[in-house]
Amino acid sequence: MISAVTCHQVRKTFGSGDTVIEVLRGVEFSAHLGEMTFLVGPSGCGKTTLISVIAGLLNASAGEVSLFGIHLPELGSREQILFRRKNLGFVFQQYNLIPALTAAENAAMPLLAAGESLKSAVNKSKVVLERLGMGHRADQLPRTLSGGQQQRVALARALVHEPRLIICDEPTAALDHESGETVMQLLSSSAVHPDRAVVVVTHDNRVFHYANRIAHMNDGVITHVEEKRHKPHLS
Amino acid sequence: MIAVAFKLLCYDKAKFVAMIMAIALAAFLMQNQGSMLKAFLGMSGSQIRDVREVDFWVMEPDTECFDQAKPLPDKALQMIRGIEGVAWAVPILKLDTNGRTDHGKLRTLSILGVDPSNRIGEPKMEKGQVEGINERNVAVVDPGGWAILFPGIAFEPGRTIRVHDQWLTICGISSASPPFTGLPIVHTSIFTARELNRGESRSSTFVAGKCADGRKVQEVLERINRLTPWQALSRQDFMDQSYRFYEGQGVPMIFNITIMIGLLVGTAFTAQTFLMFVKDNSRSLITMKVMGVTHKQLAVMMAVQAAYLTFLGLAIGTTIATLTSEFVRQIPFLRGLYTPVPVVLLCAAFMAGIAFLSAFIGFRRVLAMQPSDVFRS
Ligand SMILES: Nc1ncnc2c1ncn2[C@@H]1O[C@H](COP(=O)(O)OP(=O)(O)O)[C@@H](O)[C@H]1O
Ligand SMILES: [Mg+2]
Repeated sequence: MISAVTCHQVRKTFGSGDTVIEVLRGVEFSAHLGEMTFLVGPSGCGKTTLISVIAGLLNASAGEVSLFGIHLPELGSREQILFRRKNLGFVFQQYNLIPALTAAENAAMPLLAAGESLKSAVNKSKVVLERLGMGHRADQLPRTLSGGQQQRVALARALVHEPRLIICDEPTAALDHESGETVMQLLSSSAVHPDRAVVVVTHDNRVFHYANRIAHMNDGVITHVEEKRHKPHLS
Repeated sequence: MIAVAFKLLCYDKAKFVAMIMAIALAAFLMQNQGSMLKAFLGMSGSQIRDVREVDFWVMEPDTECFDQAKPLPDKALQMIRGIEGVAWAVPILKLDTNGRTDHGKLRTLSILGVDPSNRIGEPKMEKGQVEGINERNVAVVDPGGWAILFPGIAFEPGRTIRVHDQWLTICGISSASPPFTGLPIVHTSIFTARELNRGESRSSTFVAGKCADGRKVQEVLERINRLTPWQALSRQDFMDQSYRFYEGQGVPMIFNITIMIGLLVGTAFTAQTFLMFVKDNSRSLITMKVMGVTHKQLAVMMAVQAAYLTFLGLAIGTTIATLTSEFVRQIPFLRGLYTPVPVVLLCAAFMAGIAFLSAFIGFRRVLAMQPSDVFRS
C-alpha cells in the first residue's frame, strides 16, 4: 500500500514556559492512496492540530511528517504554498465559502489561485458541480444555498484541481443527518481515487461506515487503527 | 484573481459606497479649497498677464503687488524710454475709486487707463469696440464687472457710472481676466483715468515696456534698476511677486486648514473602512491563503482594490468639485474661480496615497493571519 501521509513521533506544543501545553504527543499516523482514512476521537484530543501539521499550516515541534515522500518544512515558504495549492484539497466544518463569489467561482478557487482565467476555471468547476448534483446552483451565491449544498460546493472546490490529498475537518458536523449522509456519499464516490488519499476528521459515528481505516486518537496520540473489511478503491 | 478582488470589494455595498464616499469627500474638500486657493492667488497676476505685449513693468520701489498701486512721477516714462535696450514704453494708470451706476448701485471700481496712441494694455473685447474708449469718459468693463454694476441687466451700450462729478459711459464688454480683488475692471483711456484720479498730480502708476530685439530682458531690467530710482520687474516676476504677496498675507492658511481636515478625515475614514473590510473578510482571506493564494497575489488584489476605490472616489469628488466651481463662479465677485489641473493632479496623488496606505495597512493584517486558523470557527 502506497503511503500518502506518514507521521512519525510527531509532537506539537503551544505556548511557552509555564503555560506550555503539548497537544500532540508522539503521533504515529499514515494515510494511503486510494483510501479514505478517518481520524476520530473526543473533542480537544488534537485532531485538528494533527491535520494542520499534515497540511503544513502548522509546523510540528518534533517528529517527522512527509507527504508523498516530501518533508514540507524543508521546502521554502513559497514552495510550501505552491505544493499545497497543487496537491491538497480542503473541506471545512463551516464550509468557508467566499460570500461574494458564486458557487462555481468558489469551486474554481484552487484553479484561480494557480493563475487560471476566471472563465476557464469556472467552466471546469461547473463540470465538477454537475457531478456533485449542484450544476443547477452553479451561479448562485453561498447565502442562497442550504448547508448541505454549501458543503457540496466546498467538496467541488476540494476536487476541482484533482489534488493527491484531500483533508476534511468535521465535514458533516454542521449538517443534519440527511445532508451529512449525502456529503459523505459524494465524498466516498467522487473523492476516493487510486491516486488520492482522503483524510476525514470526524466524531460523527453515524458515518464511520464510509471509512477504509479508522485511526482513533486520544489525548494527543493515536491509540489504535481499525482496518475496515471492505476493500479500498484500488483499480 | 483580479476579478475575485473586484467581487470581494463590491460585495458589501454599504462598505464599498462608504469607502468611495470617504475618498470622494476628501477629494472634494481638497480640490474645492485647493482650487479656490490656487485660482484666487492666481488672479493676483490677472491684469499683468492680460498685457501680453510687454516684457517688463516699472513701478515704485516698495510696490509688492499689482493692487498696491502708487503713482510714479511724470519723468519716469521719459527716463525709461531713454534707457538703452528699451524698444518702447507706455504709461498705465491704475486707480480704485467709487462710482454710482445710473441704476443706483454704489460700487468700487478698478480703473485702468491705457495710452490710446499705442493701444498697449487695451483689453480684448467680448462685445462692442475697444476703440470707443479713445473718447473722453468712455469705458469698457469686464463681464463680471458688468454683472456687479448692473445686476440682472443684459449688456446695453450707453449705460453710465458717475465717478466724482464725471459720467463714464460704458461702450462694451471686455474679456479682462477676473482680478484678485473681485472688483469690476474698467478700462478707459489714460486721459480719462487721469481726470478721475482726483488729488493726484502724478499721471501713471506703471510704465510697461518691451526690450529691443536681441536684448536680454534681465540686462535691461538691471540697467533700469541701476539708472533710475524705480523698481523694474519682468512680466513673470511681477506676477510671481503679486502671488507671493497675497500668499504672505495668510490667504493660504484659510484654505490649508480645510485641506488638512479633508486629508485627515479622508485618510482616517478610508483606512478604517479598509481595515474593517479586511476584518470582515478574514475568513475568506485565510481560506484563500490555505488554498494556495500567495501573498504576492493578495498584495496585487488589494492594490487593484485601492486603485479602483481611488479612481471612483476621485471621479466623484472631482465632478462635484468642478460643478461647485462652476456654480460659485456664477457669483460675479467670485468669477475667477475654476479648478486648476495641477490641483486635480495633486489631489489624485494624495488620494492614491491614502488608498494605497490603507491597503498596505490592511495587507499587513492579512500577512499576520494564521492559515491554521482556517479550521477554527
Ligand atoms: N494555537 C493554539 N494555542 C494553544 N492551544 C491550542 C491551539 N490550538 C489548539 N490548542 C489546544 O489544543 C487542543 C487540541 O485542539 P484541537 O486540535 O482543535 O482538537 P480537536 O480538533 O481534536 O477537537 C485543545 O485543548 C486546544 O485548546
Ligand atoms: Mg477540531
